[in-house]
Amino acid sequence: MTPAVCSSFSSSPADWTAYRADPLRSVRFSPLHHRDSVMAGRGKLIAVIGDEDTCTGFLLGGIGELNKNRKPNFLVVEKDTSITEIEETFKSFLARNDIGIILINQFIAEMIRHAIDAHMQSIPAVLEIPSKEHPYDASKDSILRRAKGMFSAEDFR
Amino acid sequence: MDVSEVEESSLQLDEKLMRFMDQLELLEEKRATLNSLIEQGWFSMSKARYSMGNKQVSVLQYASEMEPLVCVNARMQDNGEVQFSTERPTQKPSKESAKDLRPIDDIGPQEEGVRRRNKPKKEKTEKDPREDASSKKAPEVKPVRKREHNLQQDPLKWFGILVPQSLKQAQLSFKQVIELSAEIATLQTAVLNARQELKDGLKNKHAAEERLSSSARQGTVPSKLRVCAIAHC
Repeated sequence: MTPAVCSSFSSSPADWTAYRADPLRSVRFSPLHHRDSVMAGRGKLIAVIGDEDTCTGFLLGGIGELNKNRKPNFLVVEKDTSITEIEETFKSFLARNDIGIILINQFIAEMIRHAIDAHMQSIPAVLEIPSKEHPYDASKDSILRRAKGMFSAEDFR
Repeated sequence: MDVSEVEESSLQLDEKLMRFMDQLELLEEKRATLNSLIEQGWFSMSKARYSMGNKQVSVLQYASEMEPLVCVNARMQDNGEVQFSTERPTQKPSKESAKDLRPIDDIGPQEEGVRRRNKPKKEKTEKDPREDASSKKAPEVKPVRKREHNLQQDPLKWFGILVPQSLKQAQLSFKQVIELSAEIATLQTAVLNARQELKDGLKNKHAAEERLSSSARQGTVPSKLRVCAIAHC
C-alpha cells in the first residue's frame, strides 16, 4: 500500500478487515488504476464469419489464428452450415475477450440479425461486409439503422 | 435564466447534430472504399484461381496451424468512444516460440519406424518398449518443432512457393481492407456515441422547455421572458 492510501484509513480494525476482504484490492490500490485511465486492449484479434472467398482473403491478410490450444477466430460458412452453428460461433466470439473486431458477410448477418441487434457493447465491434453474391445494403446494417433511427417525428417538434 | 438555458442547449444540439452528420458522411465514404477494395481483392483472387486451378486457392490450402500477423488495439476513451488501430507484431524469436510450444501428438503408428537390427541384448531386456518408442520419438520431435517456429509465416506460402502476382495483389487489397476496418469500427462507435449524446441533449432541452412553460403559467417569469418562452415552445 502506498502512503497516500495509508492515510485514508483510520486506525480502526474494521477498515483493515474490509481492506483484506476486498478481492479487488490489488487493482484498486495499484498506481495504474484510476477512473479516467485509458483502457488499452493490447493485441486483440480480428474474427471473420464469411464465405470461402471472404475468409481466404482475410486469412491472406494475416488475421488467422489456429492452433490446437485455442479455437479458430474464423468460420467458413458453406451451403450446409446451419444457422445454429453460425449463431453459436458469433456468440462465442462475443464472449472471448481477445477479439476486437468481428467481420461478417451481410447475408450471413441477416440470418442472425436478432443476435447482432442484441449486441450493444463497443468491443468487439461488428462490421458487416459485402459478399460476392450479395452487395452491401446500408439499409440492412444494424449500426446505421440504429444511428438513423433516432430521427423520429417527435424529435422535430 | 431558463430561457438562456434553452437557447444554450439548442446551440449545443446544433453542434452535436453537425458533428453527427459529418461522422455519418465520413463513415459512408470509408464504407464505399472498403467495399471497392474487397471487390478488388476477390477479383484478384479469381484471377489467381484461373491461373493456378480452382482447388489451389481454397479452404484446402489453409495451414493446420496459424498465428495472426496483424492484431487490433482497442482504446476506450473518456467520452465512451473506442479507438481501434491495427498493429503488425514482430516475429517472436525462435527460442521463445520453442518454449511456448507444447509437444504435439504424432499421428501415425510409432512402431513402424526404423528398428535397430544390431541392438545389444542387454539394452533390449532392460528397456521398456515404451521407452524404445520415446527414444525413437525424440529425434522425430525436434525437426517438427523447428517447422513450428515458422508459424508466423506469410500466408501466401500456403498456396505454393511461386504464386502468381494476382494472389499477391489480392493479399495487398485485403491488408488495406483490414486497416480500413479498424477506422470504420472507430467511426461506428463515434456515430453511436454522438447519437446517444443527441438523444440526451434533446431530453434535457425538452425538460428545460417544460420547466420554462410551467413557470410561465404560474406567473413567476416576467412578461417579456414569458413571450420568449411561449415562442420557443
